[in-house]
Amino acid sequence: MARSGPPVEAEGLVRTFGSVRAVDGVDLRVEPGEIFGFLGPNGAGKSTTVRMLTTLLRPTAGTARVAGFDVVREAGRVRRAIGVALQDAAIDPLMTGRELLDLQAVLYGIPRATARRRAGELLERVGLTGAADRRVGTYSGGMRRRLDLALSLVHEPAVLFLDEPTTGLDPMSRLALWEEVRRLNAERATTVLLTTQYLEEADQLAGRVAIIDQGRIVAEGSPLELKARIGAPTLFVTVPDGQEAGARAVLGGFGDLRPGAAGALGVGLAGGAAEIAAVVRALDGAGVRTEHVELRAPTLDDVFAEVTGHRLEGAGGPAGGGPSGANGDGDGVGAHGPGGGRRGGRRRGGRR
Amino acid sequence: MSPSAATEVAPPEGALDGPSLGPPLRALARRSSVAFRRRPGSLFPVVMPLFFAALSTASFQRATGIEGFPEVDGFLDFLLAATITQGVLFGGIQAGADMALDVQDGFFERLLATPVPRLALLLGHLAGAVAFAALQTVFFLVVLGIGGASVKAGPAGVVVLVLYGGLVALAIGGVMVGVALRTGSTEAVQGSFPLVFILLFLSSAFFPTALMSGWYRDLAEANPVSWMVDGARELVIEGWSFGAAAQALGVAAGLAALTMAFATRSLARRVRAS
Repeated sequence: MARSGPPVEAEGLVRTFGSVRAVDGVDLRVEPGEIFGFLGPNGAGKSTTVRMLTTLLRPTAGTARVAGFDVVREAGRVRRAIGVALQDAAIDPLMTGRELLDLQAVLYGIPRATARRRAGELLERVGLTGAADRRVGTYSGGMRRRLDLALSLVHEPAVLFLDEPTTGLDPMSRLALWEEVRRLNAERATTVLLTTQYLEEADQLAGRVAIIDQGRIVAEGSPLELKARIGAPTLFVTVPDGQEAGARAVLGGFGDLRPGAAGALGVGLAGGAAEIAAVVRALDGAGVRTEHVELRAPTLDDVFAEVTGHRLEGAGGPAGGGPSGANGDGDGVGAHGPGGGRRGGRRRGGRR
Repeated sequence: MSPSAATEVAPPEGALDGPSLGPPLRALARRSSVAFRRRPGSLFPVVMPLFFAALSTASFQRATGIEGFPEVDGFLDFLLAATITQGVLFGGIQAGADMALDVQDGFFERLLATPVPRLALLLGHLAGAVAFAALQTVFFLVVLGIGGASVKAGPAGVVVLVLYGGLVALAIGGVMVGVALRTGSTEAVQGSFPLVFILLFLSSAFFPTALMSGWYRDLAEANPVSWMVDGARELVIEGWSFGAAAQALGVAAGLAALTMAFATRSLARRVRAS
């Protein structure tokens, strides 16, 4: 069995649920051996797209081919060629890790001897050898995710789908899983399509990223390319309530206004850090009290904000950033303004 | 599609050309059995029928002397078929609840993402329930045997009773798994427990229809549970009879055929809906 073509290719993919268009004409092409990130907030259509690509959901319209096979007409062949780790790591808690790997191997028609050897290798690979004979119900969230990844690799798939693989994981477990995905991609040239709502994850792992919002892909390219579109860094300025209009008028004179978050206003600042003092002086001159300013190099969140008009759910405050507290492409410069001081209880500074 | 983007998709190393039905069926049945063994709630379908048997025997031992009551050595002989039926019915509900749990927590979707034939997912799950029912039946035969009950039809009767237990498990499992696949809700499956209870008590399982009267007797006589329990009971209290064996197995098999059709349609519906 062999079929040539891009590992993942979709044209005009649509899925409706009643009157809701969850996926609204997605075109996608993933090249062999790449890690492709599908970035978007909750409800953007990421998981629905993955479910269609993995044959778990029929498209309402459009076509998709995975590993060269049509996801509707050749669903069985698609299933044999792909590995899938769905959201929430659905794993039977009553079974042990090894039992689940054995079961998965049988379901893919792998002979017992090969399955045993592979189960051992995979358990070793994901660091679960010691816990292999414990019931999964006793595993931590990170262990379950790693087992989930191992399960999706039992049959050595050509294409691997990871649906929000690190949601809910602590930073250490997240880093360990990233490392494993990178290693897998590097050693076996496995094509990986991963969905995430975390900017940092897409930035760190994916060679190319598609940003999806309200069922449509709104931007696509490498993280560097996408961020280059933004160009200038963003200055986030926090002002007291009631002074936003005045601040906006001043900031507009320094560059393009960008969506802010958590009460901050954003402006593209072509001159970077050198212009901060001028901005603060201008605001002061206009009678606007500056509580906090922060300059951030372009992030994928800025890209998202630029193309959608709003920031990613779960991304940090003004400076965006990832779930673990690192914002991936940092370079932030923060300062409290002359009249400033932090307002009690309000989060800013971009780390969440 | 540019030639440079071409990728070769080879079958997994050591994989068969296409997954056949046998090995996945056995593996899924094994998994289902493991769930039965490891879930503490699985004791319920084993312990409760014994409790009922003990309670009923203590309460109705003297009822065996009533005119019209079948000729038995003790009330436990009369109850043996009912105890098997009751235990297996409860086990079947558990099989449905397990399937609903798989649907609810996404494990069923994981199975759907594999190339295994869809029917194997259903049959494998129910095969585990049938195996558990066979073990339950043997267990009830041993425990009630220790209590004084005996199967007059001998080893052949015992074999029929074990087969009967398996078929009843398939019949109730078919309904419950069907409900699980349609609703994906453990509550919906467990909510059917009172219905099963009513079905059981509106039958001849715990008392002979000959001693019932009015609408209750009419309902019990029309209840298929009575037909199959009466067949199984005849083997226990009267001895071997092809007619009784055929009645017990035939009714259970007929019900199983109907409920399996329902389960299969439910599976198709879930797969279509996804």
